[in-house]
Amino acid sequence: MKLRIILIILVSSVLCLSSLYIGPKMINPLNMSGLDRDILFSIRLPRMLTAMLIGIALGASGAILQGILRNPLADPYILGISGGASLMAVTGIVFGIGYSGFLSVPLLAFTGAIITGVIVGLISYKRGSFWHGRLLLAGIGIGFLFSALVMLILGISTHEGLKRAMLWMFGELSMSDWDNIPYGLFFIVIGLSIALTRVKALNALMLGDELAWNLGFNPSRERLILFISVCLMVAASVSLGGTIGFVGLLMPHIVRMTAGSDNTFLVPLSSLAGGALLCLADLIGRTLFSPLELPAGIITALLGAPYFLYLLRKKDIIGG
Amino acid sequence: MKRFCLVLVFCIILSGAAHAKPPERIISLAPNLTEILFALGLGDKIVGVTAFCDYPLEAKKKRNIGGMSNPSFETVLTHMPDIVILTEDGNQKAFEERLRKKGIRTYVFKARRMSELPQEISNMGKVLGVEQSAASLSRSISNSMENIQGRKISSHSNKTLFIIWPEPLLVAGPETAIDDSMLLLGFRNIASDAKTRYPQYSMEEVIRKNPDIIFIGKGHEDMKAISHKLLSRLHMVNAVKNGRVYFISDNLYRLGPRVIDGIKELSGYIK
Repeated sequence: MKLRIILIILVSSVLCLSSLYIGPKMINPLNMSGLDRDILFSIRLPRMLTAMLIGIALGASGAILQGILRNPLADPYILGISGGASLMAVTGIVFGIGYSGFLSVPLLAFTGAIITGVIVGLISYKRGSFWHGRLLLAGIGIGFLFSALVMLILGISTHEGLKRAMLWMFGELSMSDWDNIPYGLFFIVIGLSIALTRVKALNALMLGDELAWNLGFNPSRERLILFISVCLMVAASVSLGGTIGFVGLLMPHIVRMTAGSDNTFLVPLSSLAGGALLCLADLIGRTLFSPLELPAGIITALLGAPYFLYLLRKKDIIGG
Repeated sequence: MKRFCLVLVFCIILSGAAHAKPPERIISLAPNLTEILFALGLGDKIVGVTAFCDYPLEAKKKRNIGGMSNPSFETVLTHMPDIVILTEDGNQKAFEERLRKKGIRTYVFKARRMSELPQEISNMGKVLGVEQSAASLSRSISNSMENIQGRKISSHSNKTLFIIWPEPLLVAGPETAIDDSMLLLGFRNIASDAKTRYPQYSMEEVIRKNPDIIFIGKGHEDMKAISHKLLSRLHMVNAVKNGRVYFISDNLYRLGPRVIDGIKELSGYIK
């Protein structure tokens, strides 16, 4: 088991680092020209860090949500948070308010995500308890509502921002730069730290509320804390790079199949592996059809889904 | 007998005239076609345009029949057009077939490149009964393309990038009116190797290809403010270093009469 954990850490680190040096043009770290250095520091490094942050946030939140909702299909976007972010971001892009001064698209997305998180939280909280089924359904309901509104805006819009709005929704890393990284880092570190201190509670929650009580955890309270940590991470990740699919849904499963389902390891390893997968996806997206760029969100699904199906067939774990 | 022949001849003439009668109610399904129709003096006959038709200003006052790829069939029918003008480049073929099945006359505009534009305008003019003005428009487009043949930018600093939108970086790729005009004037489009016409382009490639000139096209918002961040990231590129970043109009965005102004504008940047 230890060997496998070390293996995941190793492979992830190698993937992240190599995404810095491999691209439309290889950069030799031992012998860099001025041009190479400029490309490395002003383009690839901020892109790699953004991809890492988003992947970390999505991997961790996926693992947490699958735990607190006790549902293997849960992913970071199931709670409607990304729907709220998309609605605000698309509105900003299409109506051209996301480019004027203070109201940037990332800020709009973040605000949308947090507002949605609060709404979902309020709907799920009733008579002093925070029930997981209610949380899931509230998230799905809000998500449907917001995606319908996004489609409505895209449907009636004739603005030339249409293509940009679509690209944003696919998950867009090409414009990552140093400006947004500190904010993303701040919220994701807070969210992840909260989650990492509650992994034991998460383990207990997966056994059911009654057992969790017996083990000394208040299920409603733990769920609320973990939900807040997920909201922070997802909101930050969506505002950094749009909605990137697959990472949050399947990465925790892949890690679970490789290194077991103890959340003490699962949460940090899923986040690391999520970061690495997104780095790899971005590397492929900007290299494969260079100079054309493909959104990383498409690549994550293309890469991950077949591997996930292969593991599913081989290991036969989910559902016993 | 003589009388009968006279009546017959009269009938033939009448039916022939009815057939050749130029359409009185026209619907345009693309913004460049709307511009051409207005330039040919057919503005008054237009009874419907797409939501994207915003030039000239009068076009905005026309009835809106929906988007380019998803116009409303019902709305087109209710306006009882004599002819619907479509383009191969952006309208759906199935929509045109559906119109024809309903018995509505259609004309499909086939030009996709600058070189095909004059001929295609003449063809359309014949169908719409405005042969003369079409011939003169197509001549002035040809002239504007030929007259500048001699004026070319020098080949040692002609690497150019035409930015449509800075974040994400969308540029003018191959087979566009922009690419054609640049080629005509000797500007070498560094994005002509992309596989699509308006690609999302790699910033790394821009830095590596190091364009001498950057054009930034006009969007609906303040492009100077929006492209500020992009340009600061491209600080090492020749165009930015030497102050050869130019904000220009959207004249070349559509394959229509405004390409004349677009070419003229572009040629103003030849040093």
